[in-house]
Amino acid sequence: MAKLSDAAIVGVYQTKQGILTDKTQPSVWWECVRGACEDAGLSVGDIDGLINDGPDGVGLRDMMPAPGLAELLGHPIRFHARNIVGAASSAAGVNLAAYAVAHGLAEVVVVASAVAGQARGYGSANRDEAVATMAKLSGPYEYVYGTTRVSDYATLAMRHQYEYGTTAEQLAEIAVAQRHGATLHPLSVNGYRGDITVEDVVTSRMIADPLHLLDCCAINQGGGAYIVTSADHARSLGRHAPIAVLGYGEGHNHIDPNAIESLTEFQGAKVSADTAFGMAGVSRDDINVAGISDHFTIGVLLGLEDAGFCKKGEGGSFVDKGGTSLTGRLPTNTSGGFLSFSHAGMCGIFTLIELVDQLRGDAGERQVKDASLAFFNGVGGAQQAHAAAILGRV
Amino acid sequence: MTTTTTEYNKFLPEGIPDSQMPFWESLKAKAVKVQRCDNCGAYLYIPKDICNKCYSTELTWTPISGHGEVYTYTVVRRAPTPAYQEEAPYVLAHVTMDEGFRMIAKLQGIAPEDVRIGLPVQITYEDVTPEWTLFDFEPAPAATG
Repeated sequence: MAKLSDAAIVGVYQTKQGILTDKTQPSVWWECVRGACEDAGLSVGDIDGLINDGPDGVGLRDMMPAPGLAELLGHPIRFHARNIVGAASSAAGVNLAAYAVAHGLAEVVVVASAVAGQARGYGSANRDEAVATMAKLSGPYEYVYGTTRVSDYATLAMRHQYEYGTTAEQLAEIAVAQRHGATLHPLSVNGYRGDITVEDVVTSRMIADPLHLLDCCAINQGGGAYIVTSADHARSLGRHAPIAVLGYGEGHNHIDPNAIESLTEFQGAKVSADTAFGMAGVSRDDINVAGISDHFTIGVLLGLEDAGFCKKGEGGSFVDKGGTSLTGRLPTNTSGGFLSFSHAGMCGIFTLIELVDQLRGDAGERQVKDASLAFFNGVGGAQQAHAAAILGRV
Repeated sequence: MTTTTTEYNKFLPEGIPDSQMPFWESLKAKAVKVQRCDNCGAYLYIPKDICNKCYSTELTWTPISGHGEVYTYTVVRRAPTPAYQEEAPYVLAHVTMDEGFRMIAKLQGIAPEDVRIGLPVQITYEDVTPEWTLFDFEPAPAATG
């Protein structure tokens, strides 16, 4: 029977993250895809599968990106699908890409996310416009009150602090650890700002209590792409250790935060992790490095708990004293995450690509020693949709 | 009924299906009603097409007490638009109603630093335009027991 691990991530690429208003979105998409192909030792002409968005998108081009890509490449695209896990969609698309390759539906599948140019709405380089657009995502029963994506997560953090005594300083540890990783990654959006301290985080401006400015992700543009092919093909290309999806799971949880019992414990996250660990046949203790959706620091803490790396309520002590730092008990979001590497578009792709770099041993000064198994968590919305993957060399 | 004299420039509800209008009409009448499942008695908020406890589609708009206590909250200091920013800092609260379900709204009439999880609150109404009334929360005397 075909397995996801019959396929492998063979090429990755990321642009410099920041403000890319001087470039067009399609040009950045192509830069990423060409770069990922070159990293793999492939040509863009080898692509015969696509997940999610193609290079451009208005009208039919948006609704049907694969025909548009086929036309440009001069041959049919044999597989296209969309994965909908919010900001994690492009990373979670690794499941569909691996499925397509493992089943012979395509040989070389590309997944890319690009945000650049004079993008409007979410992709805007204008912070006010991006914040206002995202505010309305929650629907009329919430947005009439002036909710924001920060306020969504702030209410989760406030309740977590109440139930478990989690402190602002513990949340800050996550931001501090990730900023250090970003200073060691030349493409990160915030690395140039340098290291920060717990004191810096808890004294930064309050955005929505208890989340401070430095508990929040960046708003920026940028792109990334990865290529999935068969593990055999990847080995024959010989450029890098092939990185496979050993296990994968999703857990779509809720859309209305009023409609679920708890705002500190998310069954969808647990189900996604249990499914992924079950498929991979490995345990939490086997994981050397993690990437966990971090729109806000509290997201990492909730993600660690719900994925079973510690008991519910013990996330605060888990992350304390650099628990997620490069030398901590579980190095997490080692390139900086959404907080300090990039929060552009379907930004889960950057989480995934960093895990590939770690497993290849290509993470330079960020390298986690002997990283052989990685855990990926992608979140859509405010803990509303979850994807989990176990990655490893094959 | 109070109406605004200057143009209301915050977000108004958009795209509300007809099936959910009884909720908004109940706010306008200042007597909030929420769907209740005829089969299992669960209250459903925000409005839904099917009970998320027993999957029944037999739902009836039912008056509620309007009382509850804060389950969690935040103080918004960076608002989504300039119109909301004028009111900042403001408190958004998820409230567990006496009937056992949660609602989210703005919590008025209390300094942000005095808000606590568990605070007893009650619903109040705000006519924001001639067409639309919103509900908010305000502190309420603790229920006597």
